[in-house]
Amino acid sequence: MKFNWFHLMPYRWLPDNFRELYHGVWVDLPNSLYDPQRGHQLYHEYLDMIEYADQLGFDSIGVNEHHQNGYGLMPSPNLMAAALARRTTKAMILVLGNSIALYNPPTRVAEEFAMLDVISGGRLIAGFPVGTPMDVNYCYGQNPATIREKYREAHDLIIKAWREREPFAWNGKYTKLRYVNIWPQPIQKPHPPIWIPGLSSIETWDFCAANSYNYSYLSFSGYKKAQKMLDGYWERMATLGKEPNPYSCAFAQQVCLSDTDAECEEAWWPHVDYFFNRCLHLYPGMTAPPGYTSEASIRAATVAQAGNTSMNLGTNKSWKELVEGGYIIAGGPETVRQQLEELARSLRCGHLCLALHIGSAPIELTNRSTYIFATEVMPLLRPVWSEWEDHWWPKALPETDRAVPGDRNQAVKTRAERPLEVIK
Amino acid sequence: MNSPRSRILDLGKNRPSIEILEAGEGPPLLFLHSAGGIYAWEGILPLLTRNFHVYAPLLPGFGQSTGLDRLEDQFDLFLLGFDIIEALGIERPYIVGESFGGWMAAEMAALRPREISRLALAAPVGLWRDEAPVADIFGKTIGELVPYLFYNQTCMAAMRMNMVTMLFSEEDDRSQEQVEILIAMSRGFQTVAKFLFPIPENGLERRLWRIKAPTLIVWGEQDRLISPTYAEIFSEKIAQSEVVKIPDTGHLIGLESPEPYAEAILRWGDG
Repeated sequence: MKFNWFHLMPYRWLPDNFRELYHGVWVDLPNSLYDPQRGHQLYHEYLDMIEYADQLGFDSIGVNEHHQNGYGLMPSPNLMAAALARRTTKAMILVLGNSIALYNPPTRVAEEFAMLDVISGGRLIAGFPVGTPMDVNYCYGQNPATIREKYREAHDLIIKAWREREPFAWNGKYTKLRYVNIWPQPIQKPHPPIWIPGLSSIETWDFCAANSYNYSYLSFSGYKKAQKMLDGYWERMATLGKEPNPYSCAFAQQVCLSDTDAECEEAWWPHVDYFFNRCLHLYPGMTAPPGYTSEASIRAATVAQAGNTSMNLGTNKSWKELVEGGYIIAGGPETVRQQLEELARSLRCGHLCLALHIGSAPIELTNRSTYIFATEVMPLLRPVWSEWEDHWWPKALPETDRAVPGDRNQAVKTRAERPLEVIK
Repeated sequence: MNSPRSRILDLGKNRPSIEILEAGEGPPLLFLHSAGGIYAWEGILPLLTRNFHVYAPLLPGFGQSTGLDRLEDQFDLFLLGFDIIEALGIERPYIVGESFGGWMAAEMAALRPREISRLALAAPVGLWRDEAPVADIFGKTIGELVPYLFYNQTCMAAMRMNMVTMLFSEEDDRSQEQVEILIAMSRGFQTVAKFLFPIPENGLERRLWRIKAPTLIVWGEQDRLISPTYAEIFSEKIAQSEVVKIPDTGHLIGLESPEPYAEAILRWGDG
């Protein structure tokens, strides 16, 4: 198995009576609630957490894109990935991802991902989400009736831009470019591995299968609620004749780790409560614009009893209910290991995206959790699925060939501090 | 008078397929429905048949009509309106459009001014003023929309709409029939979104001067979805026009005050 340390970067200071005052955490939450000076400290605290995960040997570190909200402060995940590309050296960088239909032209994504891949020495995993309705339709004004078509066209353009070695013209419905000729090109050939985050759309499953992409199921309802959906995914893969390789699937799970089971609730409940009852306070009028979900997917979701996934979020639940419902996996290292192994085997998932930071958790708690995971849980789970080859992993430059940020300054320091004329 | 005939209009190969509801005798009146489609032969529709042969096409996504993917942009939609007139074999109809349909009717009248004899726009969408933003019908729950659409929230149609909200539950306890109702609603709404998301303004104002048909503009005085102040803007920009405001009425005039509304529309048709 492989382990991704995933950060949402929620804002930490949504007021106590937040749910009474505002109908949702997204789209039209007044930005007067955001304090940039606190935000400055928070970004650095969050990036520190991710860098620590790299130092402790997590396979990858993850960031994603959301707009106009107090739940995830990364309208541009590529900026975060760029900061991390210079400050980390080992972990792969999972940008999950860029909502490609939002970029005009979409070749911007091909360029920025190529830059990240080159800067990081080929460590990039490129995620292509459609994006949530809140982000793409309500914040970025994309038409829900056409966004999936626009997404597909953007995808085809980006892939071609990465593959072609000669300039080409693109006469699309949504993008028209006379000259497409991407500089720089990614280190990974033909391009970085592509992961597609999705919730329950059948079209997304088929799209992943057709292109051999990784399907990343990112819900906050936990592994128990995901079972039926992922059973549907694996059935669909079997129907389409794809091998049941667990690494073709990633799953996000929230994990609260403490030294012992007994301490967990006391340490984590305030932060879990903050996440489920403030960060996930979604306004139902903006979760399902007409056309965003296809009729086939609406019908399938009904059949699978998954209901309106976006609303099935675990608000107003007690700690006990969240733990029993699998929304969070909580406890000491042995409890967490057991449940994660159960998750991996029941969902048949080779890539685990771990939310080890939750809600308002401070760095002391988060880093302790990261440390326990890296030292006491990760090594024991590592062998799971070792019989399968991971085709969805970056082909990074060997570590010895990767540039070390700052090294060059060090090497020329003495010459730089002498007068210019002596330099030959 | 109370049960219209329904038929599917053949517009040719690879073209949308359009269901037409029709009733009444007299000169042709083309009725263009609002974002809610035609739930039943109710509101102003049966009243219009007093003087007119009423043709009420359902746009793709509504009723049995299909082919939204054949309409790439708004001009495809406006031209579809003329294709329907052509296929019905009628000439220079009186067009009555409500809300979304009012916008389409105004655009058609601006596009081919000589092919429309008279025009009535009931609370049409299509213009925008920052000081009176049109409410966002795509960013609200059905239940929250009710006060935007109705002044009298205990009228039958308002109550019916409130009933629909009960289909949106967090539990998975809907019957297949209820699921189909939700899907049908979402399908029609998708058509509206395709042309009017996220801001329902796409240049109509610069084309309004081209309208030659005598135009009646009807508005509910208590319309909270689209401010009645837009009536005056339409009236200023359309050469031959008149404004009628209906008291104690919200956005869906036909469902709330059908009689005074029909009276104004029928009078205008006589002119």
